Amino acid sequence: MKKLIIIPAYNECENLEHTIRDVKEHAPDYDYVIINDCSTDGTAQLCREKGFSVIHLPVNLGIGGAVQTGYLYAREKGYDIAVQIDGDGQHNTRYLKDMEKILVEGGADMVIGSRFIKKEGFQSSGLRQMGIRYFSWLIRMLTGARITDPTSGMRMVNRDLIQLFAAEYPKDYPEPESAAWAVKRRRRVAELPVMMNAREKGVSSISPVNSVYYMIKVTLAVILACF
Amino acid sequence: MSFRLQVIICVAVVAVFGLLVRMIWKKKIDLRYGLPWLCLCAGMLLLDIFPEITSWLADVMGVSLPINMMFFLGFCFCLLIIFMITMSISRMSRKQKQLAQEVALLRRRLEELTEQQRKECGRDSR
Repeated sequence: MKKLIIIPAYNECENLEHTIRDVKEHAPDYDYVIINDCSTDGTAQLCREKGFSVIHLPVNLGIGGAVQTGYLYAREKGYDIAVQIDGDGQHNTRYLKDMEKILVEGGADMVIGSRFIKKEGFQSSGLRQMGIRYFSWLIRMLTGARITDPTSGMRMVNRDLIQLFAAEYPKDYPEPESAAWAVKRRRRVAELPVMMNAREKGVSSISPVNSVYYMIKVTLAVILACF
Repeated sequence: MSFRLQVIICVAVVAVFGLLVRMIWKKKIDLRYGLPWLCLCAGMLLLDIFPEITSWLADVMGVSLPINMMFFLGFCFCLLIIFMITMSISRMSRKQKQLAQEVALLRRRLEELTEQQRKECGRDSR
């Protein structure tokens, strides 16, 4: 079975090396590919020096476009499983085995790594948690599915969803929207309790200034994805 | 509307019309996107030469002053153009994304092939 880890990275120079070491250590049976979203720091150079497997985007597409590039690559190469993790070292690759089990044996189409089932590890700030809980509620209202961590960027999908995401994937802030979209199209979305780390260096893509835009945009996107 | 104003507007519109045609001819504007502006010129010329149309339209729609009718029409036209631009930006950003992804994947493929070739050459020379 061919398995691919998709690692979108925008200016994650400082965290990337650690992330890749983690991948090689805990998930040696996986191929990985970094999607360098036209970073302006030394990401490209680092990848060249270390010989990392990487795809360089010629222009900055944002997280959605970068991740979709990974799915396009997975489709092209005929991977059976694709899993996305963030390049900032927030996600532990030691959970991949369990996620895989749920996907293959449990018959799920998508497995999301959730911080909020066991409430262990890095839990994000209070305000963000409220936002996440709101999206969780919104998705439950619209689809009936319980997704405790819809904004989690740690998710594994099977061949079927690789095809669908390669063809169509939201551009910015894609996580809640794509999860709702999958549920609404009768794909089985499961969750696995995971612990995440606080990001080591660099900044999150969601600043206070654009969090208002984030809430409005994602709310509308989730609602539209459900019809 | 005074005859003098009519003449001034007419000259201005014809000048703009000429400029537009020239730019389209020189391929500075796509005909596709220049067309709404050409239509605007034609419309303005029509209303300028036959001001009765404006009065009649204002009367029919219950607008008391014909000049307000003009403002309203102009506003509607602007909205239409902006909306068309929004549509074409969406279309273009979608295409641009697809192109960027295609380029990235091709570049990756090229690197893989180059690497493979390099290895094969190394084997042959040994």
